[in-house]
Amino acid sequence: MAYTRKNVWELGGDWADPILWYARGVKAIKARPLNEPTGWRFYAAIHGIDQDLWRQLGYLSSGDPMPSSGDTETYWNQCQHGSWYFLPWHRGYLIAFEAVVRDAVVKLGGPSDWALPYWNYFKPNQDALPPAFASANWPDGDGDNPLYVPQRYGPNNDGNVYVPVSAISLNALADPDFSGLASGGSPGFGGVNTGFNHSGQVHGGIETQPHDWVHGLVGGGDPQSNLPGLMSDPDTAGLDPIFWLHHANIDRLWEVWRNNPTSHVDPTDANWVNGPLVVGGGTFVLPMPGGVSWTYAPGQMSDLSQLNYTYDDVSPPAATPEVVARLERLGVPLETANALARSTAMAGPKTVELLGANNESLRLIGAEAGTSVALDAAVQRKVSTNLETAGAAGRPAPDRIFLNLENVRGLNDATAFSVYINLPEGEDPTQHPELLAGSIALFGVRKATLADGEHAGDGLTFVFEITHIIDAMHLAGTLNVSQLRVRLVPIKPVPEAAQISIGRISIFRQSS
Amino acid sequence: MGRSAHWPDIWLVVLGSIILLAWWLLVRNSGDLMMSAFCSSDTLWALPLSVRLDEALMLVSAAQLASDSALMVCAMMPPLIIAPLRHVRDRSFARQRARATILFAIGYGVVWMIAAVVLQLIALAARWAAPTPLLCFGLAVVTAILWQVSPTKQWCLNRCHRRPYLAAFGAAADRDAFDFGLTNGAACAGSCWALMLLTLLMGQGQILGMIAVTLFVIAERLESPARLKWRWRGPSRALRIAVAQARMRLTAALAAEHVVTPVDDSVFGRTPCRIIT
Repeated sequence: MAYTRKNVWELGGDWADPILWYARGVKAIKARPLNEPTGWRFYAAIHGIDQDLWRQLGYLSSGDPMPSSGDTETYWNQCQHGSWYFLPWHRGYLIAFEAVVRDAVVKLGGPSDWALPYWNYFKPNQDALPPAFASANWPDGDGDNPLYVPQRYGPNNDGNVYVPVSAISLNALADPDFSGLASGGSPGFGGVNTGFNHSGQVHGGIETQPHDWVHGLVGGGDPQSNLPGLMSDPDTAGLDPIFWLHHANIDRLWEVWRNNPTSHVDPTDANWVNGPLVVGGGTFVLPMPGGVSWTYAPGQMSDLSQLNYTYDDVSPPAATPEVVARLERLGVPLETANALARSTAMAGPKTVELLGANNESLRLIGAEAGTSVALDAAVQRKVSTNLETAGAAGRPAPDRIFLNLENVRGLNDATAFSVYINLPEGEDPTQHPELLAGSIALFGVRKATLADGEHAGDGLTFVFEITHIIDAMHLAGTLNVSQLRVRLVPIKPVPEAAQISIGRISIFRQSS
Repeated sequence: MGRSAHWPDIWLVVLGSIILLAWWLLVRNSGDLMMSAFCSSDTLWALPLSVRLDEALMLVSAAQLASDSALMVCAMMPPLIIAPLRHVRDRSFARQRARATILFAIGYGVVWMIAAVVLQLIALAARWAAPTPLLCFGLAVVTAILWQVSPTKQWCLNRCHRRPYLAAFGAAADRDAFDFGLTNGAACAGSCWALMLLTLLMGQGQILGMIAVTLFVIAERLESPARLKWRWRGPSRALRIAVAQARMRLTAALAAEHVVTPVDDSVFGRTPCRIIT
């Protein structure tokens, strides 16, 4: 039987059957003890667990029976972030979780074809938290709705939970490459090939947006205690029932990317296909109903038809591929643009080089921060020449330009901000979407800042494609400048206690 | 940074050449290495302590201390700087990559040269003071094991993984590349000093010991940064990589040879399962 995951906002009601059965299943799973591998908290800990944080949030107490050390070593803290394994690991995680919930649903007398809904916050009027998750009550008025968690604070930390769509983006879907580069160029749609060194410092395209953004802004933080909302931190995110609907949407977007166009393909590199085990990492292994565990590898996660489920909607968000649209903007005839786009998709190794950087680290406190990125004149000339000759016979595809926020460190994962290029002084940023480089939430930054954690305290690096801004400057004849102004605009003022800093802001050109 | 799919980058070729040259010189001159000669002397240990000291001081020359140290550093350490050098090069302007590479290497090399000279002097002093070579070597083994399991070793290892942001322009860029070399070298020396000391006290087995320690520290560097605590730490990840890569390649080779149909274990529900214990 093929299971179909459907849009939670289009099920036919706030408490339509699939969501009601999800709630009943979650309630049954939540009743299981911590040491039960198919229990709610055990499953959340598979994504990540910080026992101190769980205690502070009330999800762990001294009376909880701890799993065996074998179980914790095998299953817990598996989540893959800042890596090209991000999508396949989470796909398996969703499949296994869905099987666990379905098993509980069937035991309660529910439908045997139950499937996890997804939350597509991109659709008009679907950016708000689905109502079944927002109320502490069941539809009949009784309390104790298992889909509700109090530690969900929203973008303004006031309990009003929604996804601010003005800053959310699907730009990653236009990236022709699944795997990216850690050297300043495109991080790819699916993330960076982390090789033998799994530091995970650079988040991939779809991971940065919308994944991180939705995590940070749905979760938010408690303004009184400064504790994060569950969704804001990788070590607590799996405790929130909305986590699974958010990830189902990310999983759906992977399928959208693969289908639109079909030249978008997953890596065939054996180190991706076989998973981190072959580069010295762990095995992807998850507990399943019936007391068995399931071991899987990324190469098994590509084809949905092989995985026995589908989505009700994998249509592309836009008709024209971004590469073609860009070439047309640069004056390349449509026919040439299509041919060039095809050759770009099949292009070999990329060359990445630094174009400019600011000169000192930046603290983000309060309502905004800014800096100037000085450009190297020689590299800038290369970019200008490349853009001027775009589409000419024998010339390579036009350069792509990327803004890097390097070594982003801090203590608050719910910090979220937008980055603008050359925003005029005193202007309202929301009036200049054409100058928006991108928006990020710092999902995972707390752990990445720990000096003796997996990132050695280096923090995270975020990469935005700013090709559209550079193209516009080129077409307007204003690209010949010595520096670009970069302005960081947080979604809400950043307290000093968050200690958010950006080590360096740099710009790279990537050529085929 | 662009890398050809078929040819290694020039800087990696240069680094590899330095390693090969240093090992060739070490092997060719192994009998002339100061510590090797001093520790291999059978007659030396029969002499009274004060005479032994005179002999030891006669063997010490600043030039040989420096040349032995340089050989050791050039043979053993370059593989450890590939990852940080890649960071330096990726984050520098293309035309300044060579300069930044050299500045990093100088900073790293300065720290290791000082550390190597100090370690040789400590080894000499230990040889002078210890009543027998076996006792001296035994103490060095105990020291190396204690250091290996200590949280301080992990502290150093974690800092070997640091990849700081670097200034891009002018003198600040030069300074940052050099400083990164210094700090990375200091963390590296802090991590490896006990094993290096051990090789210096191996007498005629010094070259073999150096090869073993080089492979060990390269493998050890593949481990991720971790919390500070007392525990054994070794090259388990490297072993896992070796086994997994060998198995993967063997499977691919066998599949190509027999043109077998891929096993259909990707269908959900038919993937390998095991009973949770």
